[in-house]
Amino acid sequence: MKLSEIAQVIRSKNAGPRRLTLDVMFASDADYQRVAQSPALTAETIGRLYRVSPEEVTIIPYPVGRAIKVVLARKIMAGDPGDFDVYGAQQHAPLLGIEI
Amino acid sequence: MSASGRILAEIRRNRRPMRFLGASGQLGYGIPTPAFNAGLARKPDLIGCDMGSIDIGPTYLGKGEMATSPEATRRDLRKVLHGARSLDVPLVIGSAGSAGAAAHLDATVAMMRDIARADGLSFRMAVIRADMPRPMLLEASKAGRIIGLDDMPPLTDDDIVNAANIVGQMGMSSFRRALAEDVDVIIAGRACDTAIFASLPTMLGFPAGLSVHMAKIIECASLCCVPGGRDAILAELDDEGFVLESMNPDRRATPTSVAAHSMYEQSDPFTVHEPEGALDLSNAQYEAVDDRRARVSGAVWHDTTEPTIKMEGAIKIGERAVLLAGAADPRFIAQSKDIVSKLSDLVRDLVCEDQPEDYTLRFRVYGVDGVRMVVPENEAPPGEVFIMGECIAPTRERASEVVRTCKQYLLHYGYQGRLSTAGNLAFPFTPPEVSLGPAYRFNVYHLLKLDDPDAPFPMEIETL
Repeated sequence: MKLSEIAQVIRSKNAGPRRLTLDVMFASDADYQRVAQSPALTAETIGRLYRVSPEEVTIIPYPVGRAIKVVLARKIMAGDPGDFDVYGAQQHAPLLGIEI
Repeated sequence: MSASGRILAEIRRNRRPMRFLGASGQLGYGIPTPAFNAGLARKPDLIGCDMGSIDIGPTYLGKGEMATSPEATRRDLRKVLHGARSLDVPLVIGSAGSAGAAAHLDATVAMMRDIARADGLSFRMAVIRADMPRPMLLEASKAGRIIGLDDMPPLTDDDIVNAANIVGQMGMSSFRRALAEDVDVIIAGRACDTAIFASLPTMLGFPAGLSVHMAKIIECASLCCVPGGRDAILAELDDEGFVLESMNPDRRATPTSVAAHSMYEQSDPFTVHEPEGALDLSNAQYEAVDDRRARVSGAVWHDTTEPTIKMEGAIKIGERAVLLAGAADPRFIAQSKDIVSKLSDLVRDLVCEDQPEDYTLRFRVYGVDGVRMVVPENEAPPGEVFIMGECIAPTRERASEVVRTCKQYLLHYGYQGRLSTAGNLAFPFTPPEVSLGPAYRFNVYHLLKLDDPDAPFPMEIETL
């Protein structure tokens, strides 16, 4: 099953102008646990999808919010010449197809 | 006595839970009236609004312009000012005018004066500035008291001297100084959004962890609810926790929706760093009061012995002009990346005949790779694309010259296998070239270490 079929929210946004944060949120504890315990959502997977090394990926499980947070460094600081998404709000698409 | 003096005296005399109305997370985009009025009917002890953010990018900060329209900003200010005056409670506004530098703050204060004059309102207003004095920064930099945030390169003296604007995010100590001055209204330059709401209850001995956590949530109005939205939110704070309730009956603050909000735009959902300390949410608890109210407890505040101010600065990098066009020819689309690259060379040879290459030119092909960090391999080509050429040059005229030349030569560029020899581009309107004015980038995103986190933020008080 794809992540987009399990998650209630899959979103991206800046956390400050130099970090991108990806939030995956679930409607039930069962869905959260299923993904949190799955080997699919790892620093390696995210690194491969976003073409960064796994060391640059931080994954933070946040059970009280039934959510998993991923933090990446932005390659271009928000608003710098060459930036293509100042708010970082459209960088979530690579997550949608992750097979859980 | 003014509103802050009255409320401080009242709560000191008769300690009770306090109510806070988060009227808007981004004042100037419209405040829904029904929810705001419902909030007023609950008799809050303070009305707060955040007006700014770093999310909007460097240009507003650099240029000294608001992101919101003057008309909508004035309407929102008028609404919250009348609301606060009708209840005689403090109105606290942070990050005035989108980016909180002098020009933004002055424009906001000027609107408040206009409203007061036009509507016959009189009140005491504290205005707190957030511009960082450059000599102080040069000295701090020499002393090693400026540290880059999130791998930001070290700050140079040139960065300090040449930035168009540098602001610091003031914390609770600056707002407390204003509240202690017996005022009705506080307009702050760039500020921590939490300080708008947490300063008053912490002056009255409410736990700082709960006060700051509450503030962190209600500064975004009803965004913590399902469905999230812009309507006003009410928080009632006591010594053990706080209860959140959207003032729009269709929005529910549930334990999960509120907990999830704590991770919004944060790289760490458990810790929030503030000038005077850190908010620790590792033991925060969220419970349902009923189906649309949540009670939150457990947040802990840790004072720091090393206060810091987060600074933001923007520097001008030139004048920006763009070219906007579409295309629908499959052969053109298939070669589009190569075409714009060759076009850039061709344009350079033309516009640099008697001038240096003093500009940058970038093309983005929407439909192919305009938006995404990473494009999957072997993606099917789109049926049509949108092309944006962006030039940043030393002058407006030069930027305009570059994109106008691009327009004509891209329109008639002869690529391999071209069939449509009358023109390669579809313009939605003409002129398709737009001058966007000065362009900026963030050159300061650093922490300033200092002994007194209130020191760089001067305050003036005026009676209207």
